[in-house]
Amino acid sequence: MTELSQNRRKLIKATGSAFFASGLSAIPLRGYAADPVNIGALYPVTGSMAQIGTGCVAAAKLAVNMINDAGGIKSLGGAKLNLVISDVQSDTTVTRTETDRLITSNKLSAIHGCYASALTLIACEVAERAKVPLITGSSSDMLNKGGRLYTFTPFARASQFAQTQLQMSKLSTDKPKVAVIFENTAFGTATSNGVKELAASEGVEIVMFEPYSAGFTDAAPLLNKVKASGANTLFSLSYLNDLILIVRSIRQMGLNIAVNAGSGGFVMPDFYKNVGKLAEGLQGVTHWNHDISPESKKVNEEFKKITGEFLFEYGGGLIAQTYMLADALERCASRDPQKVREALSTLDVSSGYAAMAPGGRVKFGPDGKNIYGRPLGVQWQNGDLASIYPKDFARAAVLKT
Amino acid sequence: MFETILQAVINGLLIGGIYALVSIGVTLIFGVVKIVNFAQGEFVMIGMYLSYYLSTQYGIDPVVSILFSMPILFVVGVLIQHYLIRRVLGLNDLPQIFLTFALSLLIINLSLMFFTANYRTIHTWYSDEAFHFGGVYIPYAKLVSFVLAMVLSAVLWVFLKTTDLGKAMRAASQNRDVAQLMGINPNRVFAVALGIALALAGAAGSLLMPFYPAYPLVGQVFVLMAFVAVVLGTLGNVMGALVASLLMGVAESLGIQFIGADSGLIVVFVLLLATLALKPSGLAGGWRK
Repeated sequence: MTELSQNRRKLIKATGSAFFASGLSAIPLRGYAADPVNIGALYPVTGSMAQIGTGCVAAAKLAVNMINDAGGIKSLGGAKLNLVISDVQSDTTVTRTETDRLITSNKLSAIHGCYASALTLIACEVAERAKVPLITGSSSDMLNKGGRLYTFTPFARASQFAQTQLQMSKLSTDKPKVAVIFENTAFGTATSNGVKELAASEGVEIVMFEPYSAGFTDAAPLLNKVKASGANTLFSLSYLNDLILIVRSIRQMGLNIAVNAGSGGFVMPDFYKNVGKLAEGLQGVTHWNHDISPESKKVNEEFKKITGEFLFEYGGGLIAQTYMLADALERCASRDPQKVREALSTLDVSSGYAAMAPGGRVKFGPDGKNIYGRPLGVQWQNGDLASIYPKDFARAAVLKT
Repeated sequence: MFETILQAVINGLLIGGIYALVSIGVTLIFGVVKIVNFAQGEFVMIGMYLSYYLSTQYGIDPVVSILFSMPILFVVGVLIQHYLIRRVLGLNDLPQIFLTFALSLLIINLSLMFFTANYRTIHTWYSDEAFHFGGVYIPYAKLVSFVLAMVLSAVLWVFLKTTDLGKAMRAASQNRDVAQLMGINPNRVFAVALGIALALAGAAGSLLMPFYPAYPLVGQVFVLMAFVAVVLGTLGNVMGALVASLLMGVAESLGIQFIGADSGLIVVFVLLLATLALKPSGLAGGWRK
């Protein structure tokens, strides 16, 4: 059996038993202990994003177990958090119906989800109408527009990612000449436009700006074009399978170029598994990393025990989010979603697991955006993802390639 | 500039070799059995996973593993013909279309269950290395897969031209009823055709494995190109599919280089439409009257 499938089994076993245990504990405790607080969790556990969705659920369960083991919500008589998981199947239509179903058939105090911005944008519309607060690590700036009252985004926004990416290009060369290649749907187009708009003000020259259709059979023709452009830095805004091909083709085509591959699949342990040593020195941008604080290192160790892999960006952020919800519940001493929303809007934490975010502090503005949210520049070093930018967040020296 | 063009053409030919292995299988099944195999891409995927497991469990090089993936998929092809396709032949076209389409969905979803959606990659010593003359790079893995794809196509061509069974297959593809009157057993011929087609898909999978990640939906990426190549190269024509595949690889690569990175397929489809306008039944067919 491969290491991979063993880990998967471990994960299934661990999450399965946690699920079983939470189910059991709910029955005998009812009656003489506080009723649990229901937290909805919307993740794509099947479909094209299944792998990341499964990881999110594992992280969400870990967070809930940590909070419950420490005595639950004390202001509610030690009430335990109860995770109500729903599979949104990587599909926008399913996300709408599942969010609706989850809210109407459970007494939820809050929701978190859905990893992909495209899914979260839909879920937060449903939550908004039902007046249930939704907290998310999705990065789309759209989540903070339109005057939503129940949507909270504790981490850096996509527009901030682009700026960090441009600034990081100066880490490898004094005169960055950047080739931007991006998959031509919402994700790639939105992020690349941010890069294009900010390039001049950041003093970065863009020598190639090229959309491509995701899911290609071969990356070599695209890389040949990058080669001809004379770029010394490549921004690749790609899904994981394309990115694997791109990184391998860079090597096969003898290209000497610094790579910043942004967020998404690039910051997952799976990326390293697929490209191996070729990942060393490649840079990206995240909203969370496992080396940013003592707390994040601790949850990373716990997560590793369960899955065998380091805690990925979205999963780590999700644990912080669960603690933010716990903080709000503790302060409002109520299961009522509207009271939880009030408490979230006045949240201000700068220590503990809830503040486990780059910037070290979480306080939401009127648009639901954490006013202290900052993106983090990361680099693959020795099979691990190290925070390297900006300087005050850096936990490792920049590896020159 | 010259180097860039040469590199683009080489890139196109190298991936065209893989398109060829997939499209020859499709065209062979269509030519002989007269059905469209929508599941052809999924057999490429199975070939990839076979090579992946042979490599990670037993240390067998993915290129060497065609010695396993081809016979295994040959048998699978014969069984599918015997137990599934044979039952729906002679009925109208709909059951045949839905049969292979259902097979495709079934295989994809079973793979998601058993292999999970994770990407699987093999790194061999030659995987990411290339030899180069001047600034033109030829990756070893792609070169090996291209050469073997051409060798397999040549072997198939010789088989169809010179052996009795090969001639019987061509006869059955030209006129099934007359072939039957001449004493050719169509069930046997069809079973062999399915076997060979799936073996080629398996070979494509094994040869992709050193430079392409395996995942349950990977077949879909290649099957579109294969279908275009089959039509472009004239339905049922093995040599036509081969030439069309290589042409499409080059057209796609040049399109990406000189028009736009998301225009590779546009160039391919323009090539297809232009060809069909002039030669309505594809490259190997006659000119428009």
